[in-house]
This record gives sequence, structure tokens and C-alpha cells, in this order.
Amino acid sequence: MAIPIIPRGDVPPEEIPAFFNFTTPPTNGGIKQVDPLTPTFTFARNLLVDFDLVLPDGGRVPMWIIEDSNAPDAPPPLPKDALRRNFPSPAIRIPQNALVRADVLCQGNTHTIHWHGIEPTPMNDGVGHTSFEVAGHFFYQFQPRDAGTYFYHCHKNTVLHFEMGLYGLLLVDPPDPANPSVPVTYPTGGPGFAARVNPAAVALTDHVIHYDVEAAWVPDSIDSRWHLLGHDAFMQISDPNDPVNPANFTQDGILNDFRPDIFVLTGIPRRINDPTPITAAENPVFGPLVAPTVGVGQTLLARVINADYIIQQFTLGIDAEVIAMDGRGLGIPPFHQYSRPFPLPAGTPFRLTSAMRWDLIVKPTTPGVYPVKIEFLNQITGRLLYTARTTITVV
Amino acid sequence: MKRRDFIKTGLTGLAAITVGNVKIPGLFRTEAFAAGRTIDLTMEAAMVEMVDGTQVFHWVFSSPLSTPAIGPSFPGPALFATAGEDITINIKNTLKEPHAFQIVGTRILTPPISPGQTRTVSFKAPAAGSYLYIDPLNDPVNRVLGLHGAFIVIPATGNTPYSFPTPMVQQLFNDLGTTPQFPRHALSQVGWDPARFRIWLHHQIDPAFNAQAQADFDAGRASTVNSAQMRANFLPRYFTINGKSGVFAAHDHATTIEGRIGQPMLVRILNSGLYTYSNHLHANHFYVTSLNNVVQDNVLFIDSQTLKPLDRIDWVVPFIRPPDIAGDPNIPLRELIPEELALTIPGAQGSPGMPQSPLPYPMHCHMETSQTAAGGNYPQGSIAHFDFLGDVDGVDFPNVIE
Ligand SMILES: [Cu+2]
Ligand SMILES: [Cu+2]
Repeated sequence: MAIPIIPRGDVPPEEIPAFFNFTTPPTNGGIKQVDPLTPTFTFARNLLVDFDLVLPDGGRVPMWIIEDSNAPDAPPPLPKDALRRNFPSPAIRIPQNALVRADVLCQGNTHTIHWHGIEPTPMNDGVGHTSFEVAGHFFYQFQPRDAGTYFYHCHKNTVLHFEMGLYGLLLVDPPDPANPSVPVTYPTGGPGFAARVNPAAVALTDHVIHYDVEAAWVPDSIDSRWHLLGHDAFMQISDPNDPVNPANFTQDGILNDFRPDIFVLTGIPRRINDPTPITAAENPVFGPLVAPTVGVGQTLLARVINADYIIQQFTLGIDAEVIAMDGRGLGIPPFHQYSRPFPLPAGTPFRLTSAMRWDLIVKPTTPGVYPVKIEFLNQITGRLLYTARTTITVV
Repeated sequence: MKRRDFIKTGLTGLAAITVGNVKIPGLFRTEAFAAGRTIDLTMEAAMVEMVDGTQVFHWVFSSPLSTPAIGPSFPGPALFATAGEDITINIKNTLKEPHAFQIVGTRILTPPISPGQTRTVSFKAPAAGSYLYIDPLNDPVNRVLGLHGAFIVIPATGNTPYSFPTPMVQQLFNDLGTTPQFPRHALSQVGWDPARFRIWLHHQIDPAFNAQAQADFDAGRASTVNSAQMRANFLPRYFTINGKSGVFAAHDHATTIEGRIGQPMLVRILNSGLYTYSNHLHANHFYVTSLNNVVQDNVLFIDSQTLKPLDRIDWVVPFIRPPDIAGDPNIPLRELIPEELALTIPGAQGSPGMPQSPLPYPMHCHMETSQTAAGGNYPQGSIAHFDFLGDVDGVDFPNVIE
């Protein structure tokens, strides 16, 4: 008896162009912006730029990064271009409600930028197969209405381009509640204000908390085999007339098989067999964000982002509170009123998978050095692959 | 007419069986009905075609005794019942090794069903929500090789998808369509229409294990696929939602979530495989209303979420206007972004391209290895589409035809 066949799906003739767009997105083809409005906040990014991630033993991993070509020279002892070119790519801070025009230059090949968690129109969303990939300049336009933690990344052949390092922090800063009509951004590292529900709020702009010190834990892992691949590695052959012809699918790819051998915490790397804890001193740009120092009576805001393809489990040795997720302050009316912040007692682990962002606050009461542990777990077997360690120092 | 021109409601395209008193106007177009309160399922072998044309041996469910008959299905037919009603399911095993039937998270379970045997399980439908049925034997082998499907329970009363909503979930459903933050679409009668839901049943295929099961099947012997080996060595090569991958999933109207601003939709998300996903929705954050059949008390509003093996998760996608579109939120989108809505970006290599209206967005897994097929071919993996068809005041965007 012949075994029945369940087909993969239909390709209606009238949908062939849509199917082709999916496998082979258009490029912007000279379109620089759509439905432009007058911006109140502008910045530029340039991708991609090659970058070597230097390991503690002097080894180098080829990365791709997104450059902030307008950033100033870094003060000594930083390398001169540390604010322009780094991994993760330079952070973007935007005042809440600003009308943003982002001048993105894509060169060498096509790319996009997706402003992850920001929700604009499709052409400003940076997804190739629902709009286009960018060659040359495109001016992305959006207006972030919710203060919080986001990130930006390339969304072309994402499985490879994101892994190669094409991402950075994107932070939307709320105004000081004492001057709610003045758009501001805060210095990375603090102090500033962050969205947190405020039971005593009179105006919506009162739903913020002041923090003194800002931390950013952005763990990621690297499969160094992947870092030798080309831009379009293992993509399909493009055929506008027969976009899903079985003969056009590559069959020798390894992009389903992620085997990390290097682990990073906000750009600070370790090889899989190197358990050395990460300190503030070892990296002048990212170290203070990873291993912050905060005073008794002060408030620490920690932004946590899984920028990885595996499961991450975080355990803090100090009491914290979860105040926001994915750029939304828990409990803030009207959209977030169905949730509320919750405590995270010292030693309570929590797990994030890729692109999830949690904002935590810590209000230390006792001086000491408190551990922060990040365990990297395989997303199929659950096996522990690496444990990264750093600290919160309370003085 | 382009397929994108259709307005779809209900579960066109997904095999479904309703039992008893499932009465939601407009819910189905092509469902099968069970005779009385009895569902007949058969376990059999089928070749399932992957997105790249590769045929992979599976064990699947069919329902030849339904009206109309449902052939071999991957995943199995979605079963719909009403909470508290009596249901009987007969499961016939035509395969060569023992199988069984279980509804995850409940006590509904058959003893092993021998080759050639039929077993019956009778039960009262549990509290309303989204469930997964599987073959639990040789865990996880039998479910991973294809014996799984969605089991959906509709509440007997109320305006939520639940028999026992928490106060926060009840408040959310009360607010949809009635409060300033959730304006109701002009042509919608209610905030959330119970017919507006989707099932996203996630699965992964590592053909090495299927090939072993096929060799056993062809030799006429019981499967030798070992559960410990599968747990240790499973490396998915294909990722499906509702049995489809990549462009076929994105263009499947049983999977796409679509509607106008002010027409919220419930998405019932299940994982029958072994991979942990991180599902990310563009254009709207979503409310997590139920997690593994626990209606949530702290209803998170997030854009990316973990989906572990065997998880059952409900999202409410509010279909609010994408909040970060630049410009005055009081101006209808058709006036604020006319250029984009009118645009067809010319396709690559002389292809005509596709119009940007209705507004298309993706839902994809951010673990990204799940976005592949055969080790590459991005994005032919675990993906769905999310389309906005019109403004809240009842005026549709270009190319939308009722
Ligand atoms: Cu993203
Ligand atoms: Cu994305």
C-alpha cells in the first residue's frame, strides 16, 4: 500500500511575486523615505563595518558591526574610535515621543535595521521580505511612544547577520517628571529616569523612577565556525518565475546547528573553557555597565537583553524588582494596567530567550560585592554550556 | 484576484473537527463534524513534504469517519469541544508498535493501544483553553514523529476564551472595544469576536529519526527509535507552524493573523517538539492571557516570549494601531501614510513586487536557527504573518476586498 503524501502547500500562480519577495526581498531602489514628517531627533548609522573581537588570550573573532560615524573621538585611554565602532554597536538613546529620522547607510551589500520592539510602518520596520532591503541611504522614520529598553539589529539573513554582531542597544528615555515637556536623553551609565508604575502618579509622565547607576547585561554567544561565512551564506537561489523550486534550496547549510564556543557579556568575551569573572576594569566602554558600582541608598537600573540563540538563566545575589519587560513598564496605564512589577529576591533565577528584555531595579542597603551569574543553556537539550560571572559592588 | 485580497475569518485550511455544541457564528468554513459526541481518530503513516520538497516519513492522525472525512493530517486535526461536555474519542492504531493518546496537562490518557487495536477514552471536556494532544509513549519519540494536534475547549459562557478568567484577564476582555485605549473597529459588533482566533502549533523535524522509523515500518517491524538518543541528538532541520514552513506558513490564511485596527485576535500557541522558541511579534505587543492552561493573573504585555516544549500559551494580539508610526495618532493611517499604502516596491530581477498594502508584518522566532530549512534558506522556517487591513473607522486600506 502506498503511503499518502501530505504536500508542503500551494503556490497559486498569482502569488508567485509574493513568494519571490519572500525568498528574495526587493531593494529600496532609490527610495530614500516615505511619507516624511519633520524630525525632532536624528542620528545616523552605517553598516556594515568589519570589526575584530579580541579575546583575552589575544585570539580574534571576525565580527560585523554598525558604525556611528558621527560620534566624537573617545577620550584616552579609550581607542580613538571606540565610540564609533564597537561590539555591541554604539547605543542609541532617543527621547520618548521624539519624531525620529534615522539615516541608515548600507554598503558593501544590502542590509536593514529593525528597531526591535519599536512598532512603526512596514517600510520603517526593517524586515526585507515584508518591505525591502537597503542599498545606499534610507531614512527610517518612527516615533517611540513608550520609554524603555529596545535594541536594533540587521534583519537580513538574520540568522547569520545578527550572530555576526549587527546589533546594539536602543534606549527610549522618559522625561524628568519635573520637566515633562522637555525631551531628554540620559548618559549611558546613569543617572536618569526609567519607566516604572507610580501609584501616586498625577500625570502619565509621573510613571518613572529615578536611577543613579545604569547597568546593561547583554549576553550573547558565538559559534566561531559561522564567522567565516559570507553575507548570503546558504540562501536560496533566486528564481522569479519559480521561487520555491526544490532545486533552488541549498542543502549543505549549518545555520540550524549553533554550537557556541565563545560567550560574551555586553561585548566582553570569554572562551568556553575560561571561567574568569568579568570586571569593570577590563573594558573601559562596557565594563562599568557590566560590573557596576552603586552606593547604599542609591538606585541601580539593570537592563537585561538576551542577544543570543540559546536560553540564558540569570541569578543575582541581591534583591531586585522587575519593573519593565520589552520596553513596557509593568502596570503603567492604560495598556500595561493588567500587569504589575514583582520582586525578584536574591538567588531567584529567571530565564530569557532571544530578544526578551527585562528592566530590573536594585536598591542596595548593605555594602558588599554581590554576584551576578549568567548560565547559557542549549535550547534543545537544556545542557549548561557556560557560566558567565560578574558583580554588583555596593559601597 | 490575488489571495491577499481576501478577507478571511475562521479556520479555512486547517483540518478541524467539532464535537457537541461548539457554536461560534462564523467560526468555521470547512470543519468536519463528529457524529454525536464521538471523534474517531486513526494513527497511520504518511510522507510529509518539507518546504524544500523533501519527503519525510511521519506517523500522523486522520479521521476517515468524520463528515466529511479528514485524510492524513500533519499536525493532526484540531479538535473543538465545549467545556464540561461529555466527549468520546476512539483511537485506532494501524501502525506497527504500541501508541497512546493523551491531552497534555490533563488526566485524559489511554493505555497503550496495540497495533491493529482501537481504544476509547471518554471524558468531560476540561476548563476552556488551548490544549495539545499527543502520543506520550516512548516520550518524546511518538509525538515528535508526528502524533500530535491541538485540542481547543470553548467556554460555555462569558466574553473571554476561559471558563475561569482571572480578574485581570476578565478586565482586559471587558476593555477590548469599550475603552479609549482599545477603540472598536467601526464594523465590529463586539470587542473580541470569539471567531477571531488562530492556532500556531509549532513543530520541528530531524529527518534522521524519521528515516529510522521508516526503515522499521518498511521492514514490517516495530519502531526502534530510541527516546534517549532523540533527546541527546535531535537537531531540527525543518521548523513548521501548523505543518507548514517559511513562505507556505506566511501565506497560509489559517496561520496569518489579519484584521483591521480595533479587531483583536486570540492566538493559541503550542509546541509539540523539542526546541525552545522565542516568538517575536512585530507591530503590536501582545498580552499573555494563559500559560500552560493557567489563566494569568499578571498579564504581561510583551513583544518576545519563550515557548518551551509542550507549552500551551495564549496571546491576545490587540490590533491597536502600531503605536510608533510617526505622526499624529488621530489622523487615519490612510491619510498619514498614503505614499506607503500606495507603493509597490519593484521586485528583484524584474519581478513585479508586491503592494505594501495591506500592511504586512512578521511574527518569527528570534532564536533564529528556527528560521532555517535544510540548514539555511532564511527565512523558510518558523514564521507567520500579521496583516493590518484597514483603519479603525471602517475604511480599508488599498487592495482589500470583502
Ligand atoms: Cu529583533
Ligand atoms: Cu524581527
